[in-house]
Amino acid sequence: MDVVFNQLFAGLSMASILLIIALGLAIIYGTMGVINLAHGEFVMLGAYTTWALQNFVGLGVLTALPLVFVAVAAVGWIIEKLMVQRLYHRPLDTILATWGIGIMLQQAVRLSVGAESRFVKSPALLSGNTEIGALVMSNYRLFVIAFSIFVLVGSWMLMTRTEFGTKLRAVIQNRGISECYGIESKRVYSITFAYGAGLAGIAGALITPLFSTIPTMGTGLVVDAFLVVIVGGLGSLIGAASAAILIGEATALMSAVMNDTLGRIAVLAGIIILIRFRPRGLFPSDTRN
Amino acid sequence: MNSRFFYDLIALALFSAVIVLGVPALMGYDGFELNTFARYLSLAIVSMALALSWGTAGLLNLGQAATFGMGAYAMAMHLKLRASDGLPDFMGWNNVEKLPAVWVPFESLSFTLLAGLLVPAAVGGLIAIFMFRARIAGVFVAVITLAFLVAFQLLVIEQQGLTGGQNGLTGLAPLTLFGWTVDTYSASFYYLVAGCLTVALALGVYLSHSKFGLILRAIREDAERTRFFGYNVATYQTVIFCISAALAGWAGMLYVLVLEFASPTYMGVSFSLAIVIWCAVGGRESVLAAAAGAIIVNVLEGRLSDVFVEGWHMLLGIVFVLVVMFMPRGIYGVIVDVVHKINEARRGGRQNAAEEALLPATIQTNRER
Repeated sequence: MDVVFNQLFAGLSMASILLIIALGLAIIYGTMGVINLAHGEFVMLGAYTTWALQNFVGLGVLTALPLVFVAVAAVGWIIEKLMVQRLYHRPLDTILATWGIGIMLQQAVRLSVGAESRFVKSPALLSGNTEIGALVMSNYRLFVIAFSIFVLVGSWMLMTRTEFGTKLRAVIQNRGISECYGIESKRVYSITFAYGAGLAGIAGALITPLFSTIPTMGTGLVVDAFLVVIVGGLGSLIGAASAAILIGEATALMSAVMNDTLGRIAVLAGIIILIRFRPRGLFPSDTRN
Repeated sequence: MNSRFFYDLIALALFSAVIVLGVPALMGYDGFELNTFARYLSLAIVSMALALSWGTAGLLNLGQAATFGMGAYAMAMHLKLRASDGLPDFMGWNNVEKLPAVWVPFESLSFTLLAGLLVPAAVGGLIAIFMFRARIAGVFVAVITLAFLVAFQLLVIEQQGLTGGQNGLTGLAPLTLFGWTVDTYSASFYYLVAGCLTVALALGVYLSHSKFGLILRAIREDAERTRFFGYNVATYQTVIFCISAALAGWAGMLYVLVLEFASPTYMGVSFSLAIVIWCAVGGRESVLAAAAGAIIVNVLEGRLSDVFVEGWHMLLGIVFVLVVMFMPRGIYGVIVDVVHKINEARRGGRQNAAEEALLPATIQTNRER
């Protein structure tokens, strides 16, 4: 029984990281229909920014978070202005273009920082474990779970309780008519893309103490995060959250039953079957196209 | 025979003349250079296979590398058995006592050649039936094939006793074809690969100009309308997916012959996306352009990665993004536009307005829901 609880916790911890990455992707995909394959590289940029801030400025992971968010969001904003904006009417081509951007970002980091793995100290405040009976939970992972819920609620508030969110939802529902009402959809798109990129940056900062920071770290994450978005349903925040938990937990439990690789294969097969029968995801949002 | 078919046939003849006659002469019949070029030619086959499903039918298959890898492993299994008496060495390291049943038929060359084509075709067909019966289209095809690719590569690495795991299959024997032992550094081997590419391209040109190809293009433009005309869209999509997978398997078999080992990196996401790059740079609407794209990018990679060891990937990324943004139809699209402009200038713009209306608006083929 202890094994089960510990695996459930491991799954939840993985789900929380997936969720933050997938949220940014889901918001970008849901709003503009852009499949951002460079998202994994935004995560990587976030991780490297954290490393740089810790190494050269001496900031801890937690104090670096807002700076990382702003830095990666700025990179996302520039990329959106320069490239993505020209491709809105060719959604399938965005897969290709953003993948090319991903190669460029990865290579830029490799050329400037180097390919070797970088180390980031986890915050001293959150070291140690919380134990409930036989269940051992690392405090840092608990913090990441709490933070992911905070980000989810924050994004939800942004979408539903602010003027920007209202504009965003209007553009999602009908771009043409929202423009008639004076909403600058291009601006909304740019800010949304930057926000999504910033979230990826935060995810990158949070995972630095858990993963090794290397230029290729984003490639594996983006496939997983992308599957979370598709399983959750386009542009649905609740969908992304439940899909992240579902995939995280399924991977953790399957890995316990079989082994890590077979568990992952089983989850991928499950996802393929799920997409086949529910191509619009678990929680499809009702938008008019 | 319409004029487009005629142009394509001329282009095919020119293309095969260049690769069969021109390239070896240019390389001075040097074994090493020819081997390198044979590698590019086998990659050209997988690129044109993607052009068939992506360019013609609009199905972006991000899992092309999986079927390529199946062909590669089929050939490698045969050659590995040839190289070892009894049990292949890596099986011993993984405590496999007896030759696994899947490996046994690969003793036979004819079985291997058939399996290298039919296994990918069957797997591609199964995925296609699974997807297209449910009318899955656009982005979701890309997602499902990508997920399949990741799962398949993990499976291959996991099954160490069967596949050699992360190391792949190395130490392969040379292929013996009808009593002829293939020397991969010889001109005759180069001609074999060049011949294969020519046959594959001829098949591709024929398919894209046949009625079958016409219906596929109709599906690409609007699947719903084609369905209303009474065509069984899923069947057409499945058939082209099978053909594309079989061609990818064929390319994989040749690739193993060239490189003399099989590795799970052949089924990696980055390799699969590289195939997409080649196809997009050349021009996905034409199988010839896609093949040329693969050769051009790989030649550049071979030459430039010596000069800028680290910078090469950066350059590739930049070129790719620029191509997607400003040349959505690839090099092919640029050539077609230039030819069209020249023709127009020659005619002195007499019936332009009428003709422009009749030109197919291929540039917008990507508008998918």
